[in-house]
Amino acid sequence: MRRRFNLIYMTVMAAAAAGFLSIPVSGQAPTAPKTSWGEPDLQGIWASDFQIPLERPEQYAGREFLTEEEVAALDTERAADLGRDERAERGTTADVGGAYNAVFVSVRRSGRRTSLIVDPPDGRIPPFTPQAEERQQAERAFRLALLQATPDCENQTRRCAGGTNGPPSPRLNEAPPYYNVGRLNRSDNPEDRSMNERCLQGKLADLSGGGLSGAIRHRIVQSPGFVSIYYDARQGQGFHRTIPITTAPHLPPQVRQWRGDSRGHWEGNTLVVDVTHFTPKYENRGAHENLHYTERWTRTGPDTLELVSTFDDPTTWTRPWTVREEYNKQDEYANRVYDDNRCHEGNYGLVGILSGARAKDKAFAEGRGPDPATLSGRD
Amino acid sequence: MEAVMRSRVRMMIAALVVAAGVSAVVTLSVTRAAGQAARSARTADGKPDFSGIWQAANEANWDLEAHEARAGMVTQQGVYPYDYARVPAAPVLALGAAGGVPGSLGVVEGDGQIPYTPEAAVIKQENAENWIDRDPELKCYLPGIPRAMYMPYPFQIFQSTNKIQMAFEFSDAARVIHLDEVEPPPTYSYMGHSVGRWDGDALVVDVTDFNGKNWFDRAGNFHSDALHIEERFTLMTPDVIWYEVAIEDPKTFTQPWKIAMPLYRRMEPNMQLLDYRCTDFVEEFLYGNLRKDQLVRHWEGETIVIDITRKLPPGNELYDWYRK
Repeated sequence: MRRRFNLIYMTVMAAAAAGFLSIPVSGQAPTAPKTSWGEPDLQGIWASDFQIPLERPEQYAGREFLTEEEVAALDTERAADLGRDERAERGTTADVGGAYNAVFVSVRRSGRRTSLIVDPPDGRIPPFTPQAEERQQAERAFRLALLQATPDCENQTRRCAGGTNGPPSPRLNEAPPYYNVGRLNRSDNPEDRSMNERCLQGKLADLSGGGLSGAIRHRIVQSPGFVSIYYDARQGQGFHRTIPITTAPHLPPQVRQWRGDSRGHWEGNTLVVDVTHFTPKYENRGAHENLHYTERWTRTGPDTLELVSTFDDPTTWTRPWTVREEYNKQDEYANRVYDDNRCHEGNYGLVGILSGARAKDKAFAEGRGPDPATLSGRD
Repeated sequence: MEAVMRSRVRMMIAALVVAAGVSAVVTLSVTRAAGQAARSARTADGKPDFSGIWQAANEANWDLEAHEARAGMVTQQGVYPYDYARVPAAPVLALGAAGGVPGSLGVVEGDGQIPYTPEAAVIKQENAENWIDRDPELKCYLPGIPRAMYMPYPFQIFQSTNKIQMAFEFSDAARVIHLDEVEPPPTYSYMGHSVGRWDGDALVVDVTDFNGKNWFDRAGNFHSDALHIEERFTLMTPDVIWYEVAIEDPKTFTQPWKIAMPLYRRMEPNMQLLDYRCTDFVEEFLYGNLRKDQLVRHWEGETIVIDITRKLPPGNELYDWYRK
């Protein structure tokens, strides 16, 4: 029965795909699908089937597209790369650190575009404002201070670039200069660890391309006046987001949210969403609570959905920048969306990191181990 | 004379309050009509319309079974040895009347008792006695079904043709009800796997594939991974859902049993789900004992001083605590 259903489904999908091919590639489908109550229909499971870098690599400067040959070459190269399936010497830190092998890492085919960023025309994130640059430098200086008595700075590895070698820094006992979202060479508190390790990652407008477990998958379900999106954002860090179709004003300014506050409206068949009110704990490419994120979601065909989004924050970047993502419809029957976002429920990793650090503190205090301040690899 | 005067003022205030109430109601309905369009009780497909933001207004999350009010979420023996004379225990003492438990007639149908096997009844009792260490809610774990449906937080239903998605304010929890056919889930989960169908004007949802780590409430009522529930949603009015759940779990209960309760639409014209990202909030509770230096240690009010001592359970007991 199930097999039969699958066959029917595949036939329908194939017919739909064939139909799509006859539609001009530029612009949206002439008859955009509608929900039974008449709104444009964006529903389904969507993910990008292709790998495209966020920023244009230097080697493709001035070019928006790769040639067919370049795409084929990239795919061949990726397929041959064993990457993390190659184990380092057994029992070394590098071996243990490579715990995520190819089973965890989805490698997608190369897309034709050289960058997701379509504006500025060079396909790169615009420079930071002086204010944002200052913050970046302060955070970097703090990170380096926690490394300065470690082998990384002694041997001047890349991680210590810009730092100096010396005795343990007095800053080891300081709080980070800004709310920390990354890794520090310290585990005194959960707050020293990255958002990923704290199961606080899953964020709106994540442009990391899905990272470890492949593309972020979206399940879009609509009801009259609402678009509901579940983001399967890897490692059990998924989340739900509501977009009301409304002219109502945003939340009061003192109410800040991890995924901001969304207000949507339809412009023809395009869903336009205005997102503001992020919490200061939100971080995205250097932006925080002042990010003004605007999305334009358009069904470009039966199996394609386009998201053009603009990142605007005059406190962070010298100009706004725009990203175009293209999502492909995923098999509804296979239902590959993992909505049991249980990263936190199984977070023995954080317990291990913190209790391991306490064991090292204790060993040092009892004269059985080195000063933790002289150890690198704690990040 | 003064008393008469005062009572007259009181009456005037009462009249004003009533008038204000009436005008508020009028304003409210006007705004609703403007903001949400006139709500029909049916969708464009002719199905009952469950879309919207809902919330239980009962004590089910405290205890599904009938119970009288308690002096504290955690209590200890008072001056007398009687259960009815217990007093709030240290963890909640400083909360005063805000730290108590409201009474309830319960939501369990029939005789109001959950039919535990003798072994399971012992575990339930231990759960209740070790509430702070064991209740997954305190750790901000995914609440599971049915608990997510009656926690004291709003949730939103998005009803479409083939899928019904639900988002819960507590802990980023979500679930989707498949009205179409999908592959069975790859593994067990906190929120289970929901498959729905229409039975006349009722939405009937079969939920399976639970991992058995959830509780039903704060009283220690629990189930195993053999839990199988069937939910039944019917509209009592466009703004009230009658929510029934048939529960079976042969590893825990001697027979199937049922709970039922109304779920109410949140009528505020500007209602929306907000963040309750408790993963962040519970870091101190969960990992405070693993900090290099204890952070939360002392609080002092005018009549109470609270000193907190954190401890590390030995060996694997540390990890077991997170698993409970």
